[in-house]
Amino acid sequence: MKISLRWLARHVDLAGVEPAELARLLTLHTAEVEGIEPFAPALGQVVVGHVLSREPHPNADKLGVCRVDLGQGEPAQIVCGAANVRAGHRVAVAVPGAVLPGDFKIKVSKIRGVESAGMICSERELGLGDEHAGIWVLPADAPIGVPVTEALDASDWVVEIDNKSLTHRPDLWGHRGMAREVAALLGRELRPLETALPKTHGGGERPIPVAIDTPDCTRYLALPLELPADLEPGSLARSPDWLRLLLLAAGQRPIDLLVDLSNFVMLDLGQPNHLFDARHIDAGGIAVRQARAGERMTTLDGAERALLPADLLITSGERAVALAGVMGGEDSKVVADTRSLVLEVATFRPTPVRRTAARLDLRSESSARFEKSLDPHLVEPAAAHFARLLAELVPGAAPSGPVSVAGELPPVPAPIELDAARLAATLGAEVPGARVEDLLTRLGFDVAVTANGWRVGVPTWRATRDVSLPEDLVEEVGRMVGYASLGEARMGAELAPAPRDARRELARALADAAAGSAGLLEVETYSFLPAPLARDLALDEEPHVEVENPVAEGWQRVRRSVLPSLVGLLPLNLRHGGDLGLFEIGKGYLPESPNGRGEPAEVHELALVLASPPVAEGRHALGGALARLRGIVELLVRRAGVGAQTAWEPAPGGPPFTHPTRRASLSCGGRELAFAAELHPAAARRLELEADVAVATLNLDALLGLERPGARHVPLPRFPGRSLDVALAVPRSAPAAEAEALIRAAGKGLVRRVELFDLYRGPGLAEGQKSLAYNVLLVSEERTLEEADVRKFLERLERTSRDRGFELRGSPRS
Amino acid sequence: MCPPQDSDAPLEALPDLDPLLAEVQAAANAEALRELERLWLDRPGGRLARLMGRIPTLAPEERKAFGGAVNGLKRALEGALAERRAALEAAALEAALADPDFDATLPAAPVIAGALHPLTRVRRELEEIFTSMGYHVLDGPEVELEHYNFECLQIPADHPARDSQDTFYVRPLVPGAGRLVLRTHTSPVQVRAMERLKPPFRAIAPGRVFRNESTDATHEHTFHQMEGLVVSEDASVAQLVGTMKDFLRAVFRREDLDVRLRPGYFPFVEPGFELDARCPFCKDGCRICKGSTWIELCPCGMVHPGVLRAGGIDPERWRGFAFGLGLSRLVMLRYGIDDVRHLLGGDRRFLEALS
Repeated sequence: MKISLRWLARHVDLAGVEPAELARLLTLHTAEVEGIEPFAPALGQVVVGHVLSREPHPNADKLGVCRVDLGQGEPAQIVCGAANVRAGHRVAVAVPGAVLPGDFKIKVSKIRGVESAGMICSERELGLGDEHAGIWVLPADAPIGVPVTEALDASDWVVEIDNKSLTHRPDLWGHRGMAREVAALLGRELRPLETALPKTHGGGERPIPVAIDTPDCTRYLALPLELPADLEPGSLARSPDWLRLLLLAAGQRPIDLLVDLSNFVMLDLGQPNHLFDARHIDAGGIAVRQARAGERMTTLDGAERALLPADLLITSGERAVALAGVMGGEDSKVVADTRSLVLEVATFRPTPVRRTAARLDLRSESSARFEKSLDPHLVEPAAAHFARLLAELVPGAAPSGPVSVAGELPPVPAPIELDAARLAATLGAEVPGARVEDLLTRLGFDVAVTANGWRVGVPTWRATRDVSLPEDLVEEVGRMVGYASLGEARMGAELAPAPRDARRELARALADAAAGSAGLLEVETYSFLPAPLARDLALDEEPHVEVENPVAEGWQRVRRSVLPSLVGLLPLNLRHGGDLGLFEIGKGYLPESPNGRGEPAEVHELALVLASPPVAEGRHALGGALARLRGIVELLVRRAGVGAQTAWEPAPGGPPFTHPTRRASLSCGGRELAFAAELHPAAARRLELEADVAVATLNLDALLGLERPGARHVPLPRFPGRSLDVALAVPRSAPAAEAEALIRAAGKGLVRRVELFDLYRGPGLAEGQKSLAYNVLLVSEERTLEEADVRKFLERLERTSRDRGFELRGSPRS
Repeated sequence: MCPPQDSDAPLEALPDLDPLLAEVQAAANAEALRELERLWLDRPGGRLARLMGRIPTLAPEERKAFGGAVNGLKRALEGALAERRAALEAAALEAALADPDFDATLPAAPVIAGALHPLTRVRRELEEIFTSMGYHVLDGPEVELEHYNFECLQIPADHPARDSQDTFYVRPLVPGAGRLVLRTHTSPVQVRAMERLKPPFRAIAPGRVFRNESTDATHEHTFHQMEGLVVSEDASVAQLVGTMKDFLRAVFRREDLDVRLRPGYFPFVEPGFELDARCPFCKDGCRICKGSTWIELCPCGMVHPGVLRAGGIDPERWRGFAFGLGLSRLVMLRYGIDDVRHLLGGDRRFLEALS
């Protein structure tokens, strides 16, 4: 909201207060100031000129050549194209050297051969709204040669307040409410507001009957107003400059006198209001009611609106004349020949207004105020304010009958007991009692001293939503004395250490290992699974948690797993480099198994991808991305502290974007801890990836469910061991785990380590065979091993291999 | 190399020392030295050994002097050989050390190094600071019940404060169950924490939050916050200020970092504040603080009694304060990141440059 300081000064004396200081005070004590700037600075760049004559331009029909008295020296010759310039007008002149909005520098120039020493300005050229029909004609008594700012007393500053910080303060949605704060902060007086209705003309007329047939309208006032019958046509088309300038400063476009006045009252007191043409109000008066099913009305923007029973209507007879709190009706609006008016000032419950305005996309200054819970006590003063200003601006205009008001005022809320000790304890500082009383009183609170503190009556303009608890008063006192004055304190120490969280510690250990030991980059990716990626990864048929209002087309899915998001990063990242390893620890949501409260199951996952340039087929087994990634997975599981034996097994299933056969799962005691696979070639093709890509997930929840004793010391061998290489020819379908098991069994407890170093298929082997070559370390805890021990091991291995249909190849080296 | 005629030829007299030493000095390399050594010092075939072999043939009175002379010659020769050998080795080392091909400006061999995400690094730092002050670190669901995200926090349906939240609503999974949203802030963890922990307690809850708004360099639909909550019998505004000062001084490593509170409206705190910190990057206004010397850092306040009640805590006995740190914003401040979209963009170039 924009606050004009000149407007504010109508309510409180601002003499000697710097605008920046005022902004600082408001920021520290009331609401967030977003910015402060001088109003229409161009007004200081132009001076009042008196047009002495206007002659036709010799070379252009539409231009005129004016002689303009600028108060000093010879009159200036200025070429002007506006049709409304006449001799005798006072006008705003930009003389050479002036700079107008848009960094437009005024220079002496020749226009169609005639020299022009300046420019006669329109309002738009000075940054005053969009009035551009002609030049701006100033009042006839404007002093010649004086800057326009000074001549019109238009010097002003605009303070922009963040609306969010006023959500709870309906009273601050008008200049008077803001002035009350400023007066309290400056220790000055808030000027009284005249709230008596002006005298009624004619008299004797009956009040307008008003009925409220809905709980959503809390108070409704109707006041008949009569404009003088001899009003000159067009005399209401334009408000006086002072009113236009104040509205412009507050960011409101001037329209015509009656609309401007209505807006002025709203921006002054925070109370929206509306004018009807009395010809459209029946003798039966006004009724406020809910809309009926199927009812329609045309609002004054010309749009026909389909209404719902939740919408609130102002009606006369059977017709809707306004959509309550949101917008007036087209049929009942004030037109050029309107002479009899009905002023509406009302308060509505915030929620229906908010819902209707939101549904019809008709959020307005008016609905924004009603949403904040306006004070029903403000209705009558606002009506009086309107009527008095109207009488001032349009001599002869006056109420033509008594005011009618419907709706009970809410009961005065019980005063709040504010305990002095609690106030001091909550603020953490003592505030002297007299200070508390003074500050609250200045804000309009009614303060009485009690044994333990104060009994505080809340002013009606703060009672609708904002202040109802002692804590609310703590805020009032705290902010007014200034939080900076409270000082700071440390909390008492708690001697018990903060408890440790197993999942957080696990995630930390895994991230350290993945980034530190495995050399992967950690990423954070969006929780949404965009439709194109879902399609490319064949996930679009899977059930997902979905948002109803996605941020963009196709962004409705919330991911089940972190992994697809990582795969989605590959096309971008492989354009910027070769080998790539990424990981992320995050959450996935499964909609198919909600808990009793309807919440989806949450899975905690570490996802990994590894991509490298394509390699020859043969390298896949040992050197490819999948083999490397499985090594990383083993490292991570070890770092997770899993002590029990884990084993890789063929994975029975996996995400649809993974290779249907090249996938494995790492299990421990029947529980799957991790899954690793190559990317499905079809998915790789859809993503246009040429790389060798492996993906993996670690299930943090499964890891947390295990005993995780952590690393344990293993005694080093006391006797030298013997290292030897063996190669087994086995059928291609035989799992390596079986070959390894044979080797371990043949060692009878002596095998300390078995390491695969080669996997071979091709010439030299029988059809359908592969060769697995291992380095084996034999160690005894009791003695140094001899050649004979190795021989016995090999003999046993040869025998057991043969029994299994494997073949121990060649002559083993030792 | 060895002159064969020398092997058995009788050696009559002691040679002169000087030419011999000159010969040692002139030796160009280790081989030449070894050859001289072999010729003179080998036993039994070397020249000195053969001279010694003459001793029995000498007159008894000459024997001692002759032996002494031969031994002197031997020591001198050995010393000269060792000295020359050391000189040659030193020269060889010298020559080897002067490597004309070494280029100190050549790029080092790259190390394939991983890195933690900047969000993780800053989050851990904050967690460490707060755990050192006795705080629990809590987690909460990202797909959250509207009950925790709004109702418990004094933001009922149609409350104007919902305007600023731009909520993502989640399609219900179970008909009739409570409505789900993607949490719009980490504040729902407040009431979840109250349900789980017995007061007094201190807790933080870092995590991602969601706002349905269009994105640009300063707006993201997904970003990170860290909630803080203290419930105790004596919680106060002054303690909140003290806590935030302690924390910010630790984060920005500045002893003199000043903060200020100003009024701010959040329905779940009363009183509510915006906390500004004196800009750690300048003295009199810069781009980051937009010239104001203050940077808006976090909304905070005293926990509203209604929120305590929603968490099953008696507001007559307990008070609390809460704060909501913009984790993403702290990361951006820490690393000078100018576009929030980098954080979740997953671009290796961004991550590698910060690694």
